[in-house]
Amino acid sequence: MKRLIGMINTVRATVLSIANKNNYGYITPNDFNLYAKQAQLDIFEDYFYQYNSQIVKQNARVSGSGYADILKGIEEVVDSFSSTKSLVTSGLNTYDMPEDYYLMNKINYYPLFITQGAVTVVSQDRIVDQNADFIADGVQPGMLVVSVTNPLDPSVIVTGDSAFVVSVDGINQLTISSNIGIVQDQGYAILSTSRITEVERVSQNKIFYLNSSPLTQPNSTFPAYVLGGANSTVYGNTITVYPNTLTTEGTIIGQYIRYPKDPNWTYFNIITGGEPSFDETAPDYQDFELPDSDQTNLVNKILQYAGVSIRETALAQFGKMEEKESDQQEG
Amino acid sequence: MAYITEYQYYENTGNPNTLDENWGSYQYVSLNDIVNNFILMYVGNDKLINNVERFNIIFHAKRAIQELNYDSMKEIKILELEVCDTLRYVLPHDYVNWVRISLYKNGTLLPLTENIQTNWSDAYLQDNNCRILFDHEGKILKPSTSTVDLQRITGGKKSIYLNEQSQYNGQEGYFYNGLWYFEYPVGARYGLNTETANANPTFKINKKSGVINFSSDMAGELCVLEYVSDGMENGVDSEISVNKLFEEFIYSYMKFVILSSKYGIQEYIVNRARKEKSALLRNAKLRLSNIHPGRLLMNLRGQNKWIK
Repeated sequence: MKRLIGMINTVRATVLSIANKNNYGYITPNDFNLYAKQAQLDIFEDYFYQYNSQIVKQNARVSGSGYADILKGIEEVVDSFSSTKSLVTSGLNTYDMPEDYYLMNKINYYPLFITQGAVTVVSQDRIVDQNADFIADGVQPGMLVVSVTNPLDPSVIVTGDSAFVVSVDGINQLTISSNIGIVQDQGYAILSTSRITEVERVSQNKIFYLNSSPLTQPNSTFPAYVLGGANSTVYGNTITVYPNTLTTEGTIIGQYIRYPKDPNWTYFNIITGGEPSFDETAPDYQDFELPDSDQTNLVNKILQYAGVSIRETALAQFGKMEEKESDQQEG
Repeated sequence: MAYITEYQYYENTGNPNTLDENWGSYQYVSLNDIVNNFILMYVGNDKLINNVERFNIIFHAKRAIQELNYDSMKEIKILELEVCDTLRYVLPHDYVNWVRISLYKNGTLLPLTENIQTNWSDAYLQDNNCRILFDHEGKILKPSTSTVDLQRITGGKKSIYLNEQSQYNGQEGYFYNGLWYFEYPVGARYGLNTETANANPTFKINKKSGVINFSSDMAGELCVLEYVSDGMENGVDSEISVNKLFEEFIYSYMKFVILSSKYGIQEYIVNRARKEKSALLRNAKLRLSNIHPGRLLMNLRGQNKWIK
C-alpha cells in the first residue's frame, strides 16, 4: 500500500479547483481540515463494512483470488493502522486501553518478565540504564521492550510503546528496533517473547459463569478480560483481566487498530490576506493516512461537505454521484 | 509443546525442578497446542466454525480429554499407601474410578476382590421400641460408628470369603467314635461358590465418603491402587496433555460438539462431523490397543500347554 507524500495538498488543490468557481466556493484551511477529518473517518470506517461484505462474497464463492482478491487489499489498509502497546495498569488487574484505539484486535499476556528499570541517559533507539545489568538479567536480542510506569517517579508519562531488543551492547545499554518515545527517567520493562498467550475478550454477562466453572476458569495459560467503562478523560476504556493475579504492568500488551490521525493542512502566509501557502514542515502537519487509491473518495466526500456548506446543491450532488459510481465499480 | 533438542530431552534442561519432565513428552500434545491448532485450522470466516469464543473451545477440548481418560486412553495412575487400623484408604484427590486394588505382601502384588456385600453402613440411634431418636432440632441422632463398621474394624465381622474372617475359619469340630466331625465339609469343596472363594482381604468403596473400606486382615498392610483420573491435572491447564494418537479425534470431537450446538448448521454437516468423530475414536483405540506380533506370540504360546 503506497501513500502519496503530501496527498493532503493534492486533495485540497483538487477540491478547490472543482468547488471554487469564480471564487464562490473558496474553502478556508480550517474548514478544509474539518471536512478532511470527517471524510477520512468516514472512509476508514467504511473499510470494516467492506471487509465484512467481501467475506460474505468469498463464502458465497463470488470473489476471486490473485489480483481479484479484494479482501487482501482491504486487510492491508486496515493493518496499516495496527499498533502494539503495553497497557498501563490503573490498579491491580485493571488496565487502561490506549487513547487512540478504534478496535482492540488482540490482547496478549507475556508471562516471562525479564527485568525492569528506568532510563538514566536518553539516547535515540537505545535503552541506557546505568543501574541495570542486562547481561546478568539474561536479556537477549528479540525480547520485547515496553514503556511502563517508573515506580520511583510515576509522574513520567507512559506511552506504552513497544520495540524489540536488537543487541545487548553492554551491561547497561541495549539497542532497540525503534525509538519508543523514551525520555529521562522513563520506566521500561523487558519481556521474553516465548510462551505468549492471548487474553480472550469475554462479555460482562459471561464472566461470572466463566470464573465459576472449574473447566473454564481463566488462568495464566488461558486468561480473559472484560471491557469496562472509561477510567479518565486521558484514556479510553478500561479492561479487567482475569485471573486477578495478572497485575504486572508491561505484561499485558494490546494489538489494536487505531483511529487515523486528524489531517491538518498547515500553511504560512506569504502575503497578509493572500492565498496561504502549503507548509509541510510545520510541527502539527498531518497528512491523510489512507492509501493513494482513496484520493478520489476523499475528494468526493469533501466536495459533498463543502457543497452543503456553501449551499451548492450541484456540488454536493456531484460528489455523491461520483462516490456512488465508485462504490458500484467496487461492488 | 515446542520441539526440544536431544540434549534438552535427556538432561531435562528447561525443567530445573524435575529430573524427568521431558522424558516421554514426545508422545503427548498439550492442551495449549490443541486449542491453538484448532483455532488456527478449524475456526475462521471461511471455515465451518466461526464466531466461536475460545472458552468454548477450551471447554470442549477438556471434555474430550476427560472422556478419553475414563476409558479409552488407559492412562493409569498408581498409588501405594499403607492401610492403618482404621482399615480406610482415602481415595486420591484426582480419583475418578479404580482399575485394580492390590495387596503388596512378600514382594508380590495380590489382586484384591471387591466384596459383593457391603462392609460399611450408616446407622441411626434407636430406643428399645426401635423408634428413631432425634435431637431438639429434629435431626436424627447417629452413633459414631455403625455395628457393621465397628465389627469390621475390630475384626469381629465374619466374611463369606474364604479368608481369615470366614465364618467357618477356626470353627471347632467334635470327636465321636474316634473321628472328628465338622459342620462343613473338610477337604475338596464340591459346589464351592467360586465368586467368594478367595483368601485375600476384601474391600468395598464408599464413593460418597471418598474412601476404600477393607476387611480387618488388611490392617497394617500396603495397598496399591491403580486408578484412572480425568486428566485435568488438578486444574493446571499448562500440564494437561493427551496422547498424540488421540489428537485427531479430539479435533473432530470439538468440531462435532461445536457444530451440533450452533444454530443454523445443516444436519448433514453435523452428521458428517459425528461420523468422523466416531471413526477416529475407533482408529485411536485400535492404535492404542498395541496389538503387535511380539505380544500376541507370547500369549499364543500358552495354547499348547497341557493342563493336568
